[in-house]
Amino acid sequence: MSALDRLEGYVRRRGIGVAEDGDSLPVGLTLLAAGIAVAVLSPILWIFLRAADVGVESSIAMLSRSSMIDILVNSVGLVTTVTAASVLLGVPLAILTVETDLPFRRFWTVVLALPLVVPSYIGAFAFVSAFGPRGALADALAPLGVESIPTIYGFHGAALVLTLFVYPYVFLTTRASLLSFDGTLVEAARTLNHSRWTAFRRITLPQIAPGIAAGSLLVALYTLSDFGTPSIMQFSVFTQAIYVDFNTFGRDTAALLSLELLAVTAVIVALESRVGNQGSESYAGGGGHTERTPLGAWKIPALLFCAAVTTLALVVPLAVLFMWLTRSGPGYAGGGFAFEWVYGWNSTYVSLLTAAAATLAAIPVAYLAARYRSTVSSLIDRATYVGYATPGIVLGIALVYFGSSYGPAVYPTVPLLVFAYVVRFLPQAVGTTRSSVLQVDAKLVEAARTLGRTPGEAFRKVTLPLIAPGVIAGAALVFLTTMKELPATLLLRPAGFETLVTHIWRVQEAGYYGQAAVPALVLVGVSALSMLVLLVQDGSLIKREERTDE
Amino acid sequence: MTHRDKSSRRRFLALSAATATALAGCAGDGSDQETQTATTTQGGSTTKADGADAGVDSFQGSGPYSEGRPDLEGTRIEDLPDLSGTLNLYLGGGEGGLYGNLLDRFREVYPDFDPQVRSAPTAQLANTIVEESSGGSSSADVFWAVDAGSLAYVANQGVATELPSEVTDPVPETFRFDSQWVGVAGRARAIPYNTDQLSADDIPNKVAQFPETDALADSMGWAPTYGAFQSFVTAMRLMENEDATKEWLQKMVDHGVTEYNDEFLTSNAVADGEVAAGFANHYYVLRVKAARPNAPIDLAFTQNDAGSLVNLSGAQVLQGAQNQELATNFVRHLLTVEAQEFFATTAFAYPMIPGVPPVGGLPPIDELSPPNLDLSELSNLGPTLRLMREVGVL
Repeated sequence: MSALDRLEGYVRRRGIGVAEDGDSLPVGLTLLAAGIAVAVLSPILWIFLRAADVGVESSIAMLSRSSMIDILVNSVGLVTTVTAASVLLGVPLAILTVETDLPFRRFWTVVLALPLVVPSYIGAFAFVSAFGPRGALADALAPLGVESIPTIYGFHGAALVLTLFVYPYVFLTTRASLLSFDGTLVEAARTLNHSRWTAFRRITLPQIAPGIAAGSLLVALYTLSDFGTPSIMQFSVFTQAIYVDFNTFGRDTAALLSLELLAVTAVIVALESRVGNQGSESYAGGGGHTERTPLGAWKIPALLFCAAVTTLALVVPLAVLFMWLTRSGPGYAGGGFAFEWVYGWNSTYVSLLTAAAATLAAIPVAYLAARYRSTVSSLIDRATYVGYATPGIVLGIALVYFGSSYGPAVYPTVPLLVFAYVVRFLPQAVGTTRSSVLQVDAKLVEAARTLGRTPGEAFRKVTLPLIAPGVIAGAALVFLTTMKELPATLLLRPAGFETLVTHIWRVQEAGYYGQAAVPALVLVGVSALSMLVLLVQDGSLIKREERTDE
Repeated sequence: MTHRDKSSRRRFLALSAATATALAGCAGDGSDQETQTATTTQGGSTTKADGADAGVDSFQGSGPYSEGRPDLEGTRIEDLPDLSGTLNLYLGGGEGGLYGNLLDRFREVYPDFDPQVRSAPTAQLANTIVEESSGGSSSADVFWAVDAGSLAYVANQGVATELPSEVTDPVPETFRFDSQWVGVAGRARAIPYNTDQLSADDIPNKVAQFPETDALADSMGWAPTYGAFQSFVTAMRLMENEDATKEWLQKMVDHGVTEYNDEFLTSNAVADGEVAAGFANHYYVLRVKAARPNAPIDLAFTQNDAGSLVNLSGAQVLQGAQNQELATNFVRHLLTVEAQEFFATTAFAYPMIPGVPPVGGLPPIDELSPPNLDLSELSNLGPTLRLMREVGVL
């Protein structure tokens, strides 16, 4: 066995070693976590209730129709492409901003993460405005004799737009893995005379693979549940077909399609478990690191790459929003829609509540999954991902049904709306929290126990302060996705409770795009603040720079 | 109801005419200064003539179409009992902003009236009402939707109440729908055309002839993803059959047709000359003309076919309504001269009471030739979408 093989073996053992804990599952914690999982899964019951109305025979007939098979193929194709493309964008960008001497790293870190705050329906709309058949680009090229440009609609457009606005999930998780990764291992490999590439492939890549997988899972499930982009790009996928069924009062067929979507979700979650279960996926960093790879002649291409991604994913949508703001032609101004700051406050308020609730719910689930690895604990952990892939409209209707049976004290109220958001976005908090728990040395907790602390005390005094950065990063992620959520918000908000997204919906529905600019910019601005919180928590904006400046 | 209430309301209505200038100025929908001045002058003169008409003025829009309106007839707000108390209103669809403005006017007239509004896409609210009713009872008192199909769906699920005749009487019988819901504003399918490129004679009076009309080759626009267009195709499917509809769609595709995201964009493209004609609801064209008075665009209507469909915005009272009387009275208010004039001059919709004519020189609703079709059947979009997909237009 070569020295490098042994080093590889060490890396692999180190990955899972932290999580090993001989204890059997603690009853109280398991029941709590299981209760949370059941609660967030409960709305799914509606899908089974309605799908059962269809009957087995007509279900099979319906699902084997060619249009339904097209939808399955389209959805799987879109998810695969967007996930692969997000890895191809997110991983190199993460490596560039963490491992190399790329100029203005801090700046690039922020702007490359920011596209995540742009709601995909606004992004898609911006792309159609910019690159559509009658968009700004076509207008600009027309005097040059270019009569038509390749169409932005369909599979390519949907895949491109989704990738540009969701790749930051992979970027962030990969960065965090790289930051927490012990760089001395790579140096050891280098001292053994292996090339940078070999060292990367055999030492770094296995270590960051779970991080990449965690980000990819979020990308894949988001893509599956997103409605805005495929519908604007006119590409038929599950969520879009489910919307069509709801719009035609086919609630049972919508439920049937949702069931099929859940099956695809289960496959994706299971696939990720095979890669990601090594246990070091992470948003919260803090490993030892020493040397940056000089880019040399690659500095300019690397800068161009970062600039190109930023231009498409951030500059284009913002430029279109500012264009809407300043233009006053037909369709840009008008209607009876005055923007009120209370919309911004309402959005922020429910998003903060959701971030807090999701964090509280995530801690027991994540702690159990990280500390007590077993089939039960990972089932509970994975169960929380189901809601993330459930289209907002399905969740909304399900909660309308259950909520209204409990009367006006429950529905329509802000707490029920917050519950819907938690169901949708809990896995983002679970993921970050789980990885921070994994990074806490179990020996510290044992030491606290030996000193006579109860498990609860040991958690509060030792674990909680150590996982705080990861927990806060998760809360920030939940916050910014809640700010963007539209379909469930429309169905579950109390009367008169307008948020930024419902206001944007109202003005766009009426065709007054110009009036969508202010709320959209406020939305992006507030979400951007939470992105800064997230990046500060992962230490990438402070610690790392200090280290290199030494 | 006391006499004092009425007189205070009248005082308000007179007052509101005085503030019409301010309202017109604040509406801020990009209308030019000249237009506002015109409105003001008109408002000023009518105030002197008749206090009640001044009330109508405060319900009017501020665009060029609010000028030179004829005498209006029908039930007025002051003929009705006061609106008072909390009303849970589910408001479905795109004119949400404008309808919100109408509610604001009602609030100004009736300080005690407190409508609690939830707005969302029509079909989703219809689903919501039905799910609420199967889970417990709906929290909506009134469902006001821009789409007949959604209202019909809720009615078919048996959760709406029958409206009393004093509500439905002012409306022509075709727009009453078993008293389960009543139309409050109409929109007609129309053919916007570019007047620089085509004349009215170039537009056949049946959509069936469009694919054979040379003047329309490679020069039409449509919005297949848009709900109103899908209703039109549904109407064709119901009136003809699936095969004929597929054939027509295919022939239109072969004839050369450009796709747009919605019918406002289609109408703008016609005004810009990108395409010579298109398929759109009538009010989108009026909206283009209101914003660009010199745009070379006009409207044609087909006759007695799917292309001349008239769809409705309507309202219904739900069985779970906390206050049936208030809910019913609210629907009556939507059919007053004031509200009808509001729909006509701000949403450019077809009014539902004969005493209020449509704006923009449009033919009155009884001169249109809509097909003989049960609007509630339009909710069955499934087969329509399937055949649109089969042809490849979706």
